[in-house]
Amino acid sequence: MAKSIMLVDDSATMRKIIMRTIRAAGLSLGDIQEAGDGGEALEKIGQTPVDIVLCDVNMPGMGGTEFVEKLRSDSSYDSTKVIMVSTESADDFISSVLALGANGYIKKPFTPESIQQTLEPFMS
Amino acid sequence: MVADVCFHDTLIDSASEVFETMMFMALEKISPEEAEMAEDTLLSSITFTGALEGCLAICCASQDAKLIAANMLGMEPEDDISMEDICDAMGEVSNMVLGSIKKRIADAVGEISVSIPCTVSGKMLDTSLGEKSNMTEEFVNLDGSLVKFQLFYKDN
Ligand SMILES: [Mg+2]
Repeated sequence: MAKSIMLVDDSATMRKIIMRTIRAAGLSLGDIQEAGDGGEALEKIGQTPVDIVLCDVNMPGMGGTEFVEKLRSDSSYDSTKVIMVSTESADDFISSVLALGANGYIKKPFTPESIQQTLEPFMS
Repeated sequence: MVADVCFHDTLIDSASEVFETMMFMALEKISPEEAEMAEDTLLSSITFTGALEGCLAICCASQDAKLIAANMLGMEPEDDISMEDICDAMGEVSNMVLGSIKKRIADAVGEISVSIPCTVSGKMLDTSLGEKSNMTEEFVNLDGSLVKFQLFYKDN
């Protein structure tokens, strides 16, 4: 079954770009939800769980790092995969969010290939 | 050290990376003498603190901002794009350009943390960051649109 996905980014433009890029990469998706920050994402996931979350880091309100921490503190979301999408590219930072429980990392600006490579292992 | 960084190259390289990767738009540097900014402009800015403190400002004619937004959204320039979407798109451009600058200066300068972008539209918009700040300015031709990039910074 196609995976359900949530796009978390304060920029509506970026959410659209990510969506378009995923489609262009030929990855098929199930239900799609969107949120403008980590708090809204947690609330929506609480109501309708998703398979994969693509999450920005720098957002007003709850940022991506806190979102991962909060999601991972609840074992009912253990199977939810979280992939960060951020302009933050320092290795130390990337290691730290992966250590918090993120499953993958895509650097902005991204190419369709980088989206495809990172997402594909989680799509089957 | 901050003195080791060529901010002109950093600014151009970072902007090129973002526009080429995300929008498939090529960017050509033009001299300030050739650059005449439109009256009706859109100004997107994003601040940073840390090893270096300052602000990145990106300014272009409102109609060119619409073109950039259309490119980002995979729409046609004549499509109906709301002002909100145009401002959001330009904000995200400044967020990504600053992200790219941050990556390029990290070794020489150190870590900086980045704010949330802010975009406003109006006539003859300008940015400044007090007397003691440095400013690097670049004008580029982006597929026929004139875009001004300014990086204001103070060494901490
Ligand atoms: Mg953001």
